[in-house]
Amino acid sequence: MSGQTAIRIEQLGKRFGAGPLVLDDVNLSIEAGEFVCLLGASGCGKSTLLNLIAGLDRPTTGSIDVPAEGAAVMFQESALMPWLTARQNVELALRLRGVPRAARRGEALELLDTVNLADAAEKRPHELSGGMRQRVALARALAQDRPVLLMDEPFAALDAITRDLLHEELERVWRRTGRTIVFVTHNVREAARLGQRVVLLSSRPGRVAGEWRIAETTGRRIESPEVAALSIEITEQLRKEIRRNAA
Amino acid sequence: MPRDTADLLVEPVETTEADLASIRPQAAYSTTEPDDFRSLEAGLDRLQTDPDRAPSAWKRFTTSVLPPIVFVVALLVAWQLYIVIAQPRPDLAPSPLDVVTAIGQAWESGRLQLAVTTSLERGVLGFLVAVVVGTPLGLLLAEVKPLRRAIGPIISGLQVLPSVAWVPAAIIWFGLTDATVYFVVLMGAVPSIVNGLIAGVDQVPPQLRRVGTVLGAGPGRLAALVVLPAALPGYVAGLKQGWAFSWRSLMAAEIIATGGTIGFGVGSMLDQSRELADLAGVLATILLILAIGILIELAFFAPLERRMLRRRGLLQAGAK
Repeated sequence: MSGQTAIRIEQLGKRFGAGPLVLDDVNLSIEAGEFVCLLGASGCGKSTLLNLIAGLDRPTTGSIDVPAEGAAVMFQESALMPWLTARQNVELALRLRGVPRAARRGEALELLDTVNLADAAEKRPHELSGGMRQRVALARALAQDRPVLLMDEPFAALDAITRDLLHEELERVWRRTGRTIVFVTHNVREAARLGQRVVLLSSRPGRVAGEWRIAETTGRRIESPEVAALSIEITEQLRKEIRRNAA
Repeated sequence: MPRDTADLLVEPVETTEADLASIRPQAAYSTTEPDDFRSLEAGLDRLQTDPDRAPSAWKRFTTSVLPPIVFVVALLVAWQLYIVIAQPRPDLAPSPLDVVTAIGQAWESGRLQLAVTTSLERGVLGFLVAVVVGTPLGLLLAEVKPLRRAIGPIISGLQVLPSVAWVPAAIIWFGLTDATVYFVVLMGAVPSIVNGLIAGVDQVPPQLRRVGTVLGAGPGRLAALVVLPAALPGYVAGLKQGWAFSWRSLMAAEIIATGGTIGFGVGSMLDQSRELADLAGVLATILLILAIGILIELAFFAPLERRMLRRRGLLQAGAK
């Protein structure tokens, strides 16, 4: 897209206390506006990497450069405040961002409309389905108005039909807002469906084990043949990485 | 506005990739129109949510109001029947009518009104002071771990200690004054409120704190906007128990400590009836104490709790 580097990760290493290395010599440079999927089996440290990018944790070695504005984060569980309505949840993010009170309501409703939830603005989280909750969480993350959006397996707990729709929703939001998205998943198809770039991490320690760039990202669906073909290729590589742990 | 941008984004596919699109069949259906997508998503949303039906007023009456009334009426009937059939000594087993008469007499002499206002005033005031003392103390203990390790067990212990045990000490310290009554009430209510708040804060899901941090909340705003509201159910449970302890402690103090400058409360009225061996009066006062407790619960705590739990989806419609 614009060709500017949004996130630069150099020779990054991370270990917790005296434990084993979780991440080892990770080098990654993500352009502004890029949609990158981080893919890996359990224990590859993909969530750790995301936390490091989010600034929730510090690297042991190496460096991470992120935009000064920071990053918005979305988790697997929507983690909405159960006592607030959908609109108030988005407004909370606006309030903590420093948006004046008078402007919050309108902006929150606008953000909810981008995720097709304008009608559910006054509903509370328990009245919403899992997919709707994740969309509110997405609207809340967008409310933070940060150039980078980090997503930690946000759709893992959803059923296939809902997830399929949310893929389309996210793609739409990405194209409309031009956010840099780093999307962590263990679902190969999901990565092949969503990413402009798929980065495969090996496990224990996590290293970059492969990378795929997708030239044509419009019009992809989870059942598209090119997504299937890419998934097969990535899965082959992923299995090779997993097998190495057997020895 | 969203439509326009979406259209713009679709455009390059149609112009620059026109031949590609004709080769790949999936491209034909894969770019769902924005409106199509909206209706698709709206349809799924409708399928996945149930409208929250509030129970009808009649159903609430038959499930939660009627049963206790029926039970109390049955109890009264059984009591009256026993009096009529067994004819026990009236000074040992007064009839319901005797008790009602005793209440009526207390009302006419103005003792009942005086006792109820004095006791309620003390109970409510003592409870409010306990809230003001207990809330910051509870927050402090919940958030500052070393302090909690030191003081937590003692507060839990105080909750077990019957607050009546403080009455003799309070009388020696403060004499027969209102201070004695308030002291006992505080010792009864504060530990409950503190423990309720600590339990509430402990049960705040860690991901809510994490989200608060990610959204940019510092410690102060995290406590005010995330932790405290999230801990509200535990806090309200603590308040409810705190009120119960206030009321019990107050009655205990009023029964034991009479005279001096201590005014005439419901507990004093109970003690007075006992001295006169007026069992109907004693029973009437016990019922009065019970009724006030139930009334405060029904009029204040139950609606507060129900509303809070329903808002958070912790209460199934129709249940309870």
